Amino acid sequence: MDIYPKGTVRRLLETDAVTEPTRTALEKRLRETDDYQPKFFDAAEFALLDAVCRWLIIQDEGSDFVDCAAFVDKSLNENESNGWRYNELPNDAETFRGGLGGINETAQNKFGAEFVRLNEFQQNEILTEIQNGTAAGEIWKTLSAELFFEELLAKAVEVYYAHPFAQERIGYVGMADAPGWTQIGLNELESREPRVLSEEY
Amino acid sequence: MKESKNSAAQMRHYSNNETVDAVVIGTGAGGSPLLARLAEAGLKVVALEAGKYWSPAEDFATDETAQNKLFWNDERLSAGNDPIAFGKNNSGIGVGGSTLHYTAYTPRAHADDFRLYTEFGVGFDWCLSYEDLEPYYDEIENFLGISGFSPYPWSEPNRQKYPLPPLPLNGAAQLMERGCRQLNIKTVPAANAALSQNYFQKHIGWRQACTNRGFCQAGCSTGAKGSMDVTYIPLAVHFGAEIRAESFATNFEFDAAGKINAVVYVKDGVTEKQLCKNVFLCGGAIETPRFLLINSLANSSGQVGKNFMAHTGLQIWGQFDEAVRPFKGIPGALISEDTHRPKNADFAGGYLLQSIGVMPVTYAGQVARGRKIWGEKLRECMNGYNHTAGIDVLGECLPSESNFVELSDEKDARGLPKPRVHFTNGENEKRLAKHAEKTMRGIWEAAGAKDVWAFPRNAHIIGTCRMGKDADNAVVNENGQSFDIPNLYISDNSTFPSALALNPALTIMALSLRTADKFLENGK
Repeated sequence: MDIYPKGTVRRLLETDAVTEPTRTALEKRLRETDDYQPKFFDAAEFALLDAVCRWLIIQDEGSDFVDCAAFVDKSLNENESNGWRYNELPNDAETFRGGLGGINETAQNKFGAEFVRLNEFQQNEILTEIQNGTAAGEIWKTLSAELFFEELLAKAVEVYYAHPFAQERIGYVGMADAPGWTQIGLNELESREPRVLSEEY
Repeated sequence: MKESKNSAAQMRHYSNNETVDAVVIGTGAGGSPLLARLAEAGLKVVALEAGKYWSPAEDFATDETAQNKLFWNDERLSAGNDPIAFGKNNSGIGVGGSTLHYTAYTPRAHADDFRLYTEFGVGFDWCLSYEDLEPYYDEIENFLGISGFSPYPWSEPNRQKYPLPPLPLNGAAQLMERGCRQLNIKTVPAANAALSQNYFQKHIGWRQACTNRGFCQAGCSTGAKGSMDVTYIPLAVHFGAEIRAESFATNFEFDAAGKINAVVYVKDGVTEKQLCKNVFLCGGAIETPRFLLINSLANSSGQVGKNFMAHTGLQIWGQFDEAVRPFKGIPGALISEDTHRPKNADFAGGYLLQSIGVMPVTYAGQVARGRKIWGEKLRECMNGYNHTAGIDVLGECLPSESNFVELSDEKDARGLPKPRVHFTNGENEKRLAKHAEKTMRGIWEAAGAKDVWAFPRNAHIIGTCRMGKDADNAVVNENGQSFDIPNLYISDNSTFPSALALNPALTIMALSLRTADKFLENGK
């Protein structure tokens, strides 16, 4: 697994390798969830969403943290659409609220406590059952557990990998394209592209 | 030339009360070429576009999330066994339509693509032939400045050379070339509407060569990609067309003889009405039938919304020892059409293969939905992003009664019924996809891929208002003219009677110019 140095994207944002509209978009994202208060979910729902996001997106200890739950809350609050939804699901607001309720219902049924109070083996088991569509609960009788999980996972990864911190982690510097790219073949790197620090942890 | 603004600055304007010769609804690959052609003929034309008139250099960020504004994000309901993803997958908004985010692949259809029924006894034959479209293919390739390999190995006889040499191969293309060479599958650099050299367009000026930003699917900020907003739209404006952006068409008004005499549209929250003599509806294979179904128009055949098609678009991804850095270069730089009519196939039609690069948010979303991995496995997969490359298939999709667009009971933010789109791959699509998956996995194995996985997908929305000779089973005739409303024309991917096993944009543009020429020939 490739390890890249930290701060690569942030340093490039200070250079003319990045166009003005690109810099504006990424600098806004870097500050977007500072001191974030949930607007779509209530405090308990938001804490649950945060706990689930930490399972879906593993962030390195001590690395710059991306608040995925905050980005998901913000997106739902602004009623962002990606242009389609599964006919089988209700609208996004109902799917996400209902699905979080379903997680707690399954947790209560199976282990007698809310999801955030379970140990990590129990939490892992709950999420796996929901993804596989085998979780028990009243809510899952009218809301597809598998499709809810897919929507939540897709949203979480899309907000995470849109963030400069995550892009630094995977060595992506596509935003630094103002001069264009000339070294585009296999193993060809431009001087402003990050080099791998090591290939193992 | 550095275009700092879009072409709106010197544009002519018409009053709503002036009866213009034509209103064109939609400014994508179906609407823009004919808009330019009609304007050049001296007609008074107004284009209504639901989205904004962007200035790419100022408005487009190299950031996938910021560019979601280019996608048609009014919600559609996806039903059937293989629900179609819309938005970024295939549906655009803004002056230029979906060409703002198309990959700009521009292969031509083959002569046999138009005769699927004759060849296989399934699907439909077109009422047009390759020969009908060939002069338009020639003209459009020259106007846009298509970069491509000549002589193109799978072309019809005696076709013209591409006006520009091919674009350079990126990592994914080199890998596909390596795998295919070992399996004796022929490849060449793909034809693409991004410029490999600076190119002069008459009446518009110079467009700059592609800088390999790789961001074609989320908006070209340099004007190198031949989207409509930097090609046919400025040409139309040069000849006196008006582009009325942020104007959402909702209905028509009719005279006593049953001809349309006005288009009703909403701009800035106000309902307006443009008087006109003719209408060209160019909203694409979902919005065009939706408009007609909402207003119960042009549907005496019962075919509006029927036979929705979407290409088999399975992608095969893998990781390689080499650094690929899949964000550089046009995403699809290499093509093979050796499988256009595979020998001993157990399905009708065929497919082409293309290499694919990818941006991280798009890839992560596909990994989430397609691989269904999360936590440590997801992190491991995404940490290999810089070593990732893909190949995909574009294959025939047969028209089917069970695949269609209808109106749901749910209303969108505009107060209009959301479309519900039913799609299930049939036996032919499944067999084709299986054949293609085996071929692509073989290529990726030969190229040295590890951790290979398949993302099932259908691309390109096609059908729903098909053309034909017979008013009983088609919505428009071969000239795009409605059988029911004589001054209504449709020009977009909805009129395709069969899907054609290739990227549709060039053929949509060719039909658009042909529709304009037939309209002009027949005396409007």
